[in-house]
Amino acid sequence: MTEQKPLILVVDDETHILHVVSLKLRNAGFEVITAENGEEGFDQAVSHLPQLIITDFQMPFMSGLEMCQKLKEDPRTNELRALMLTARGFSLPTEALQKTNIVNVLSKPFSPKEILAKVQELTGMKALT
Amino acid sequence: MSVGKWLSVGVGIVVTLLTALFISLDSTPTVSFLGTGPLMQFAIAGIFGGLVGLAHYMVISRFNSELRRLMNHVSILARADSRELPVPPGMGLAPLAQVIEQSMSSLRERCQTLVAKRRELEIQLRIAEAERRHTEAVLNSITDAVLVTDAFNELALANNAAATVLGFDTSYSLRRPIDQVIDDRSLVKLIKDTLEGVPAAPGHRRHVEHRLQRDGREHVYDIKVAGIGSGRSNGRGAGTDGNDSVGVVTVIRDVTREREIAEMKSDIVSSVSHELRTPLSSIKAYIEMLIDGEAQDEQARAEFYNIIQGETNRLSRLIDNSLNISRIEAGVVRVQREQVSIPSLVRDAVDVMQPQARARNIELKDASSPVYFQVFADKDMIYQATLNLLGNAVKYTPSGGKVTISIEVDEIDRKVYVRVADNGVGIPADDLPHLFEKFYRVDQHKRLAQGTGLGLNLVKQIIETVHGGKVSVVSEPGIGSTFTYSLPLADNS
Repeated sequence: MTEQKPLILVVDDETHILHVVSLKLRNAGFEVITAENGEEGFDQAVSHLPQLIITDFQMPFMSGLEMCQKLKEDPRTNELRALMLTARGFSLPTEALQKTNIVNVLSKPFSPKEILAKVQELTGMKALT
Repeated sequence: MSVGKWLSVGVGIVVTLLTALFISLDSTPTVSFLGTGPLMQFAIAGIFGGLVGLAHYMVISRFNSELRRLMNHVSILARADSRELPVPPGMGLAPLAQVIEQSMSSLRERCQTLVAKRRELEIQLRIAEAERRHTEAVLNSITDAVLVTDAFNELALANNAAATVLGFDTSYSLRRPIDQVIDDRSLVKLIKDTLEGVPAAPGHRRHVEHRLQRDGREHVYDIKVAGIGSGRSNGRGAGTDGNDSVGVVTVIRDVTREREIAEMKSDIVSSVSHELRTPLSSIKAYIEMLIDGEAQDEQARAEFYNIIQGETNRLSRLIDNSLNISRIEAGVVRVQREQVSIPSLVRDAVDVMQPQARARNIELKDASSPVYFQVFADKDMIYQATLNLLGNAVKYTPSGGKVTISIEVDEIDRKVYVRVADNGVGIPADDLPHLFEKFYRVDQHKRLAQGTGLGLNLVKQIIETVHGGKVSVVSEPGIGSTFTYSLPLADNS
């Protein structure tokens, strides 16, 4: 019997980042879907209800923060948790974060290993090979 | 006949009658010896009375004469500028004349002192007037708004900048209560509180940032208010005693531009930081993947190396462009102007860009005519700007497309126009106004090619800031874009 792989949604407007994070997670046994901006990310989250979302902060059309706020407001997705990656040199406002389900913020440049460890911790699943 | 003469006649008659009475009453032998009858006695009395009357008349006349002299004397003395020394009067009036003369002399001295003081005051008034005009001129030359209010919170002094910033007419507003002059209630309260020395202000000075509406937009002002000391010594220095202020000086500086620049710098630092971290993130992540053996085959490894190289180049371009823009903005860039032939420069740029265009199957055409004219410019910079425009055109034009560079000269306006036209993806209308801003990238273009968002800003800086030219763009999504820069022709072209 095959176990269902945990589904992770990765949202970033930088294709290389999307590629490297997805590859790291796939190699560790996660199933990964991707989106290139907040709007697309929201739609993907609603349709697939991933176990965790990894999102960039600054993106066109809709930022990662706006997407997470919208997800929390939507009853279909209000329990989805997110991990945020940001290249901004300052911390995000607490009030804004409280309106989301962002459980952790990692700064860019990041280490793929570090992301994997965080994803494993948050999903409670070790790598499935 | 004068009153004096009538008086003398009267005195003579009275003396005659009294003498006659005296003789008639006396019955001594001496008088009898004279052997005179009543007629004789009356004649004697008449003569005696006449003599006495005459004498009286003479004395009165002399006295009147001396009195007139004294009056004349006094009237001469009364003239403050008199230098005459009048002959002192007789008849015992000399001491009186002397006393009067002393009094008059003293008065004259006081009068002269007062005249001198008056002249001194007139001079001081003229000096004060000149100083007031000078102070007003100094105040008006200050670009900050300065206004002074007195102990009654009335406007005592204000410069032109204050009238402009706070919107009042100085000639009408002077000596009027400050709350009738200034609409902004919080500023009025600040001034009043400072006069009353509300303890919140240490040293009786306040420094606040305040926002005021002016010309339909919000301006940020830096306001300093200070109490004016009465000058009375209280051992604490003028203006430091809460109850000792005779007025308030308010200085208002418009810091809107400074705040905007500060915010802009903060945004730029934030953007640069973000833009540098993005390629660095990829480089770091892919290197770690290679080290950890996450690239499963040679093809994957080659792909990772290519990504790392591409992102390293991106980082390098980003740093170069940022530095060039910063140098231009800071005015520290060394501009080496020389006579530059634009057709020759365009040819060089096309030659350099040709391999890249060919690799993407794009026709890159130099449509400039070999007309001789020159611009006086920094050749390397103009070359860089031309290369950036050609590079963008090639990047955002799909395979099979066409990029054309052409030159046009307007001999009337003495300008050369360089146009880079492509039939590429075009730019959405909403993005056009922001296209030359730092770090601005068209969202839809991010997937087509890498970019720093600085290339077009650098073109603008080179053409407009350094060379006084102009950059513009016209574009239509799906049809293509044309970027044009113009430069002034060299005088001898």
